Amino acid sequence: MFTKDPILLACTVTVVLPFLSFLTIICYTRKWERVSCSISIGAILTSLLCAVYLFVATRHFTEPLQYRLPWVISGKTIIPFGFLVDHLSMLMLVIVAVIASLVQIYSLGYMAGDPGFSRYYACQSLFAWAMMTMTVAPSMIQFYIFWELVGLASYLLIGFYYEKWSASQAGKKAFVVTRIGDVGMFIGLVILLLYYGNLSIVDVNSAAVAKQIPVPLITISAILIFCGVIGKSAQFPLLTWLPDAMEGPTPVSALLHSATMVAAGVYMFARLFPFFAGSEQALQFALLIGTITMVLSSTMAMVARDIKQVWAYSTVSQLGYMVMALGAGGYFAGMFHLTTHAGFKALLFLCSGVFIHHYHTNDFFVMSRQGARNLKVPMVCMTIGALALSGVFPFSGFFSKESIMVALAHHPNKIWLAAGLFGEVLTAYYTFRLIFVMLFPKEIEDHGHHEEEHHEGESILYWLMGWPLIILASVTCVLGFFEKQFEHYLFADFILAHGMEHGAEAAQAGGHWLTITAIVLVLIGVAVAWLEYGRKGASQEGFLSRMPAIEKLFANRWYMDHFYRWALDMIIYSGFTNIFTRNDRRVIDGGIDGLCRGTEGSGRIASFLQSNMVQYNIFVMVAILGFVALSFLG
Amino acid sequence: MNGGVLSQGLLPQLAFIVVVGITFCGAIIAVFHRNILYNVLGLALALCGVAGLYVFLGSLFIGLMQLLIYVGAICIAMVFAIMLSRPVHLPKPKRKVSKMATSIFAGLLILGVNVGVIYKTAWQPASERKLDWSVKTIGDFLLTRYVLVFEVISLVLLVAMLGAIIISRYNGRTS
Amino acid sequence: MNNLTLYLLISAVLFSFGLVGVMMRRSLIAILVSIELMLNAASLNFMAFNKFLSPDTSIGQIYTLFIMGIAAAEAAIALSIFLALFRQLRSINIERARELRG
Repeated sequence: MFTKDPILLACTVTVVLPFLSFLTIICYTRKWERVSCSISIGAILTSLLCAVYLFVATRHFTEPLQYRLPWVISGKTIIPFGFLVDHLSMLMLVIVAVIASLVQIYSLGYMAGDPGFSRYYACQSLFAWAMMTMTVAPSMIQFYIFWELVGLASYLLIGFYYEKWSASQAGKKAFVVTRIGDVGMFIGLVILLLYYGNLSIVDVNSAAVAKQIPVPLITISAILIFCGVIGKSAQFPLLTWLPDAMEGPTPVSALLHSATMVAAGVYMFARLFPFFAGSEQALQFALLIGTITMVLSSTMAMVARDIKQVWAYSTVSQLGYMVMALGAGGYFAGMFHLTTHAGFKALLFLCSGVFIHHYHTNDFFVMSRQGARNLKVPMVCMTIGALALSGVFPFSGFFSKESIMVALAHHPNKIWLAAGLFGEVLTAYYTFRLIFVMLFPKEIEDHGHHEEEHHEGESILYWLMGWPLIILASVTCVLGFFEKQFEHYLFADFILAHGMEHGAEAAQAGGHWLTITAIVLVLIGVAVAWLEYGRKGASQEGFLSRMPAIEKLFANRWYMDHFYRWALDMIIYSGFTNIFTRNDRRVIDGGIDGLCRGTEGSGRIASFLQSNMVQYNIFVMVAILGFVALSFLG
Repeated sequence: MNGGVLSQGLLPQLAFIVVVGITFCGAIIAVFHRNILYNVLGLALALCGVAGLYVFLGSLFIGLMQLLIYVGAICIAMVFAIMLSRPVHLPKPKRKVSKMATSIFAGLLILGVNVGVIYKTAWQPASERKLDWSVKTIGDFLLTRYVLVFEVISLVLLVAMLGAIIISRYNGRTS
Repeated sequence: MNNLTLYLLISAVLFSFGLVGVMMRRSLIAILVSIELMLNAASLNFMAFNKFLSPDTSIGQIYTLFIMGIAAAEAAIALSIFLALFRQLRSINIERARELRG
């Protein structure tokens, strides 16, 4: 079976190897750190090779290829396990494999000497396994199972420094908040299963769904499933977990923010895009949520002082862009932005990881004062990443953002386009705020001795961290120029499979004014940042510091966490918990106590009858019984 | 009414008498001997005899079950209880003749009643009889018609085990 | 040996032995032994009726199995109670158990 079909073999190897490495590390090699990390990295590199092979081997396939093994058979419903090989899943598989392997190599340097080194690699393998299996899932059930496993793995990694209170809290928060969205998603899937009777992704995406289910029901289930995206991709009401998730090690943040955890939500949106497209309201809803998320988190990023937090907020806002693009019908734009974003966001996080590793602080004002710009490689790479993030011309972000803008411009309601352009200004502003602060420190403390600290072992570690950065930076530089091939690749699949015409002509029709406007807006953002932070004698205080109320609002994340805390206290603690406690104390405990007291009391009463002569009692009983029976016989 | 090979001829009759003898001997030892350990061993003997009777009644399976469960498990459990509580070494109070007399009287009374019932009743076999002695049928019945009883008994056994563990747990107040 | 009455008589005698034991013995374990005898007499009855009268010869066997199960549960509980009692009273004499009255 395997030997005849190299694609199936490659799929299996890709998906199973990280899991095996997870098991091996957890069960056997926890003590030997070197063995653990080589197992894990070997597994992910092999997976990467297989994924690339699959990507190349299936690039001309027009029909999605499915391997399915029935797992649960209940009546007419069959829940299969297996692989769905089409262009979208292969693209995502390659992204995940590339980012995961780079992050794991980088972690060799970053995590060196950590007491939980083996555990870290085990979790990384678990993460890679869950994400890759989710990517190739042929049915929504398998998708959901591994979706949750991704959540579990990210919980383990965010709370990696579990002895730190804030880290364990952040892990819990990520787990619980995403779970809120997942409940909605699960209900949506159940509705779909009940009315359609099949959760195979290809079938759900086919046009047959619209015929079988009334549109309002599609809308309801689509919005419920979108709740899963909201939770996983940190969209508007549930976005607060992601900025906290940076409590984990920095490479974990890089993985989490770029290709795996949060990308899973957008990936699902794209995976089920034809299904979502069946309901206009669901797309509108997504568009709205994406826009709110994008603007809110951009404003938060404008005041953050923590380098990872800035990137975290920017991740949220970029995810907002992706959801906006998908919601506006720009399937390609969303996926393209997901791809480029995976590259440059991983780059940004890995760069900031080098700084954090080196200066042992998260505050980029402090880093800059200690001479962060002397670390040449990460500084250059980070600048490249920042240019891509804010959408400056030759870098990948420019192309994907432009295609998003085109998709938004095609939407009849121009408010979304305006919001998108506004977001570009904000993005450019907060990104270059950070870059200028790092590049042009106000006063440099003399830390010459840092250079001497670079002895041999350190420099190996430094380059272990450096190479992934250089690879990612070069990818970021060139990826944008492959837009056309990319579009062709995705759409060959999409149009043939679903018969939907989008994007192809949309990309042309946008016109040049949009591109020019976007570039001008980005330059405005950069210029404002330059005026405030970059130029000589700049105050390095944002214009927001003159409006303390607004700054406070932004810095406190629009009081969302406070609101959740308050809602939690009001509804859960003083509402439900109270009722349940009362129920437990009064009804259950009281009932059992009453029962006990009744038994004891009646026992006490009945014990008056006890004459401690059991055998005589029996004798009397037997004798009377015997005589009665005799008289009946008589 | 043919009970198989064991029903005809002199040898089976002899065997039957031996089995009944074992049963009664065991019962007498079990009831009247003053040493508790001997009582339990007598019980084991009587149970073996009853198992033999089951074989005569045509069910080898139940006979084996009797040996396994009663002789193999329950009697052993009793021996364990005796060893744990060591009542063998306790002083034996003297038997009261009056108590013996009254209980034997009651026993004889019930025996009389039973014998009366046995002889007075006209036993009628069922009009249609399915003579199916296979274990397979028993298994089928256990999991179809009697499945509720079966499950309830399982539950009872489970609860009994838990209860036994909890009750007999060392509570630290003595020894 | 091929008629019902014989088996019923054997069972009646066994039952009476058990009854005498329950009324006469002071040791709790001996009483338990006697109860087991009575239970066996009952199952013997079941088996006899099963062989000579019943419409389906599986049912009596099933009941005998159930009786065994119940007897096992009963023995387990009874023995553990005896052990607990022995720890309290240093005796398993039924006439000494009058403190149970509370």
